[in-house]
Amino acid sequence: MKFEKRRAQVKLEIPTTSMPDIVFMLLMFFMVVTTLREVTVLVNFTLPEAKAIEKIENKRLVSYIWIGKGERIQIGDSIAKLNEIQSIMYAKRQALPNIIVSLRIDRETNMGLVTDVQQELRKAYCLRINYSANIKI
Amino acid sequence: MALLKKRGLRSAEIPTASQADLAFLLLLFFLVSTVIDVDTGIGMTLPEYVENQEVVEISKDRMASILVNENGDVLLDGEQISPSQITARLKPRIQSKIDMPLNKKLLISIKTDRKTVYNAYIQALDQVKEAFFEVRDEYSNSKFGKKYINLDEEQQNEIKDAVPIIISIAEPEKV
Repeated sequence: MKFEKRRAQVKLEIPTTSMPDIVFMLLMFFMVVTTLREVTVLVNFTLPEAKAIEKIENKRLVSYIWIGKGERIQIGDSIAKLNEIQSIMYAKRQALPNIIVSLRIDRETNMGLVTDVQQELRKAYCLRINYSANIKI
Repeated sequence: MALLKKRGLRSAEIPTASQADLAFLLLLFFLVSTVIDVDTGIGMTLPEYVENQEVVEISKDRMASILVNENGDVLLDGEQISPSQITARLKPRIQSKIDMPLNKKLLISIKTDRKTVYNAYIQALDQVKEAFFEVRDEYSNSKFGKKYINLDEEQQNEIKDAVPIIISIAEPEKV
């Protein structure tokens, strides 16, 4: 008896010529979405946790202030003093009128300092703030 | 003439088979280096700074005052409660004022000591926000049969008007 291998008559290959195009498309997406971290954080902090959390929709408006352990305050790339906050933030507000200030404050910080920073922000007319917190599960 | 023909036979193609690999490599790099960190937190609006502050009297039944002291104890209107009770205590009070005009809605004042730990304050603030969000959700459920997030903008504004979030951050007393 003669066995004959049965083969499908149709071509079984998936065309891969367009694969680079698809990959490039993905690549473009990620290139556009990526924001390379522009600041190095110089303070040590652990964020508090909270449940009733909102997302900030518009990242372009956000400006950060870090308050870490040992009452170190960082704005932008450098450590700032309490009495410098007003002028720095006022300049930022001039560039971006509806600025949102995101406060990344260490959970062990005293409220006295937080209040002082808030007072400075009020004087600089940066009134929209956001207490940065992680989601509690 | 014969020479020219010969040259045309040579293959002058750049091999593109590895193009996909190259693209994948780049793709992987960007995948790894991308940080899609959405900033999450509790949003607040600070009051404007005025030199000479006016003192406005607010009736007791309109205001709920929360004090977080330096030991992390929470006092709601002078009565000590545990931080996790704040939501449950505030919800009925917010709900009872839904139908009232804006100048009669519940106002919540949060006060801390200068030595209060930031985390304790955030926990209290979180509970207060949670109370407002739950009331909003329940109210929109009874009115539109949907959760607050799923409403369209007009409906959201209607709920916002009915249940506005009014939180005042009182300055700690100087010690």
